Amino acid sequence: MIYRIRLVLLAVALGAGASAADKGEFKAPRTPWGDPDIQGIWDFRTITPLERPKALGDKQVLSADEAEEFQAETLAVRNKDRRTQDGLSTQADVANAYNQFWWDYGNQLTEDKRTSLVVSPADGRIPAPTPKAKERYAGIRSRRARPAHGPEDRGAFERCILGFNAGPPYTPSAYNNNVHILQTPDHVVLLIEMVHDARIVPIDARPPLPGEIRQWRGDARGHWDGDTLVVESRNFSDKTSFRGTGKNLHLIERFTRVAPDRVVYEYTINDPEMFTEPWTVAIPMKWNEQPMYEYACHEGNYAMESMLAGARAQEAAEEK
Amino acid sequence: MRTKLAVVIALVVAVAAPVIAHHAFSAEFDAKRPLTLEGKVTKMEWINPHAWIHIDVTKEDGAVEKWMVEGGTPNTLLRRGFTKNSLAIGSEIKVDGYQAKDGSMRANGRDLTFKDGRKLFLGSSGTGAPKDGRDKTER
Repeated sequence: MIYRIRLVLLAVALGAGASAADKGEFKAPRTPWGDPDIQGIWDFRTITPLERPKALGDKQVLSADEAEEFQAETLAVRNKDRRTQDGLSTQADVANAYNQFWWDYGNQLTEDKRTSLVVSPADGRIPAPTPKAKERYAGIRSRRARPAHGPEDRGAFERCILGFNAGPPYTPSAYNNNVHILQTPDHVVLLIEMVHDARIVPIDARPPLPGEIRQWRGDARGHWDGDTLVVESRNFSDKTSFRGTGKNLHLIERFTRVAPDRVVYEYTINDPEMFTEPWTVAIPMKWNEQPMYEYACHEGNYAMESMLAGARAQEAAEEK
Repeated sequence: MRTKLAVVIALVVAVAAPVIAHHAFSAEFDAKRPLTLEGKVTKMEWINPHAWIHIDVTKEDGAVEKWMVEGGTPNTLLRRGFTKNSLAIGSEIKVDGYQAKDGSMRANGRDLTFKDGRKLFLGSSGTGAPKDGRDKTER
């Protein structure tokens, strides 16, 4: 029920076509075999932060003026030359890689002007980690602090295995914020532009994999709950993590077409080993008329070679 | 509200920025080796995850150094309307960036400008980027 109420609120905020959804009039188109049709290329760019900035307290939504300001300031700050301003350093500048031309965050908040993509808990923040999670973070930090011995010491995204917005779950990031959804009667394919990863989700009620089989993106099973596609994933590997999730994450994703050109994508992170409570994110996805482009990340990953060469140079300098 | 919100945003973005780079540029390039290169474009590699621009830099003594400059994903460039014709071979450009940590002739391309001072990547609305037409509400 809570989910339904939230969906209506989101639909109202989404504007075009949403008033029909509000009144329960919008009905998603159907596939030839009768399922709700959510196929298409969906763009989930937004500059709305995942977590609400602490200083905004319990403010869930910005006014139109505040939203304008937030957008303008965010874009200005992102484009800032970090070498000389505000006491920031060349280290911060080089970490930011290049100027804004190369980034593709979009330049808009979500249409409902929320202050965070996290919709639960109510403070818009990712819940506190458990003691076990803190221990795990410390291990990761110490590995990252030394020069990488080899590619395995670098992140999965740097190794072109999965990217930061490649999911699951999907969250807006620096670029390639598009997912192409394709359906058959017994499968849904979620082709994400980042790292060009096709996630094939059975929706034919087959049993899940045994618990000992662990996969990079978990083991997904989908079903229709009314007009909402629900995808549940378990059996994650401990080699991947989304914002601190562990291998026993139970991820629930929901895709609902609320207007001809909008899908609301929601996901809930259930991971009591790593977080003190579950948390939920809601992201509007817009119809994208442009094509997806291939992102064959391995094709020219010279950066990995450069990073390892940099690590060897750092070691040599330290030995002197 | 105005000042407060601006400060909040500045903090959020300043903290978030280094995390979002797809590859750890700080592991690849040396913050202590900022550089400016001026040279002629000899090749552009439209490859993933990042595009690379190759330039010949002629030193004062006439020696030619072959540099590689790392940019972002070609996908973003395509969506911005940047094509193969946007950067002709032989174009003279200036690169502001940082040299690779191992001292090789690789750099990141923080800012790229043509010799006459025009920005190679023309921007709008503070994003450093032109409208790409994907978002109908974009101004």
